Amino acid sequence: MLQLEELTLKLGGQTVLDKVSLKVESEIHIVIGLNGSGKSSLLKTIAGIWNQDSGSMSINGRDIRKLPPEERRVGYVPQHQALFRNMSVEKNIRYCLRNRRGDDARIDSLIDMLDLRDVLAKRPETLSGGYQSRVSLARTLASEPEVMLLDEPLSDLDVSIKERLIPTFKAALKTQSIPVVYVTHDSLEATLLGESFSVMTKGALSAVESVQDGFAALRIVHMGGKE
Amino acid sequence: MNRHLIAVLFTPLLLLLIVYPLVALLSNLEMAAIGRTLVDTFFWDSVVNTILSALAAALLGVILAVGFGYCHLFLKHTFLYKLANFMNDLPIALPHTVAGLSLLLAFGRNQFGFVGPTGLAFTLIAVVLAMFFVSYPLAARTVASGLDQMDKEIIDVARTLGDTPTKAYLRVALPVLGEALFSGFVLAFARSLSEFAAVIMFGGNVPGSTQVLASYVFTKVEEGELAMAVTASAFCILLSLGLILAIMIGRNRDATA
Repeated sequence: MLQLEELTLKLGGQTVLDKVSLKVESEIHIVIGLNGSGKSSLLKTIAGIWNQDSGSMSINGRDIRKLPPEERRVGYVPQHQALFRNMSVEKNIRYCLRNRRGDDARIDSLIDMLDLRDVLAKRPETLSGGYQSRVSLARTLASEPEVMLLDEPLSDLDVSIKERLIPTFKAALKTQSIPVVYVTHDSLEATLLGESFSVMTKGALSAVESVQDGFAALRIVHMGGKE
Repeated sequence: MNRHLIAVLFTPLLLLLIVYPLVALLSNLEMAAIGRTLVDTFFWDSVVNTILSALAAALLGVILAVGFGYCHLFLKHTFLYKLANFMNDLPIALPHTVAGLSLLLAFGRNQFGFVGPTGLAFTLIAVVLAMFFVSYPLAARTVASGLDQMDKEIIDVARTLGDTPTKAYLRVALPVLGEALFSGFVLAFARSLSEFAAVIMFGGNVPGSTQVLASYVFTKVEEGELAMAVTASAFCILLSLGLILAIMIGRNRDATA
């Protein structure tokens, strides 16, 4: 379980995360928010890329506040894939083995599940956006993280490709019963992937019942509190 | 008004102030002096000293620039980085005679116990260190600029996959910095080739030992052998042109790759 309590992050004197509290068990939790609302900052803070100013964070009861990213056992899929261009697709996916994480059998099953076997020898930049997203997901899942964080991983793709990819993504994410925090401002992704939801506005996070409630809340905030 | 007024003003100034002095130099070449210079062993010693020392200085520069790049990426808010960044700008404003004198006072005495009474001064190592001192900032800045253009998220991802900052830098950042490292090396090498003041202050101007091409030209002018100085200078121009050509070919190859 991932648990955040009153997590606060300030950057350049500005409050980016404002006392964020969140509890995610073995589910895909969708954080809906507009650009600049603090969604990505939330993931980077959980991953340890940015250090929080106050509040607590734990994974399965393990306090991760003071741990560097490499010790948190958190998987991070950024918005623009960030594949290692100096390596083949296969080396990207098996990267975690260098740090004694994951195992070959599990990685092989991920490669098959995400239909990547035919492109293993290729360079990442020669692949289409859909393939790159799958490689990025496989690389992260291969490391067997205890929490998965995904920052709009499908935002660069066309709707038709997205519709085809989402079920594969969901199946891959559900193979490990771990908490997943998936950030998006796309209602299709939120609807098809989400199991619980919250909305982020100006650094504050509030739980909502459904995707519809989430986007309704966003519209109210966007219109200055008038419905 | 001419549509290309700026170009009309620029062209004669370029020709007069940059091209003409080089043409003036080359027009003073004499066949007899070329022959005398080419059989002068001190000339060839200075050529070898220049190239080898500049290569060593550029290599050392790139190695330190890799270290600076690490600080640029991971330790930007530390005093170490701020000091290193400041020191990158200093040699640009500092007269190179001052740089040479600093090196002479630091390493030119028997204070480390492993060298003679003049320390490292007036040795080829001193020549390399003097060239390094003035050329390293160029390599450091080039590496930092390459890192600024890199997608930082590859580092974030590598860290979450278990890499320490050092591992992420070596495995993920450095391999994509190939072009910046090469450019840094070439710039540092080119700057080292042309260094005179710092080299002569710390390395001296001992023919056949620490004399480099720049100091060979200076010596020949002092000795009244102007035609030989012109020949050595023409050789310097050829060397520089060759280097510029290599850089251009390298850039074209990268652009078409």
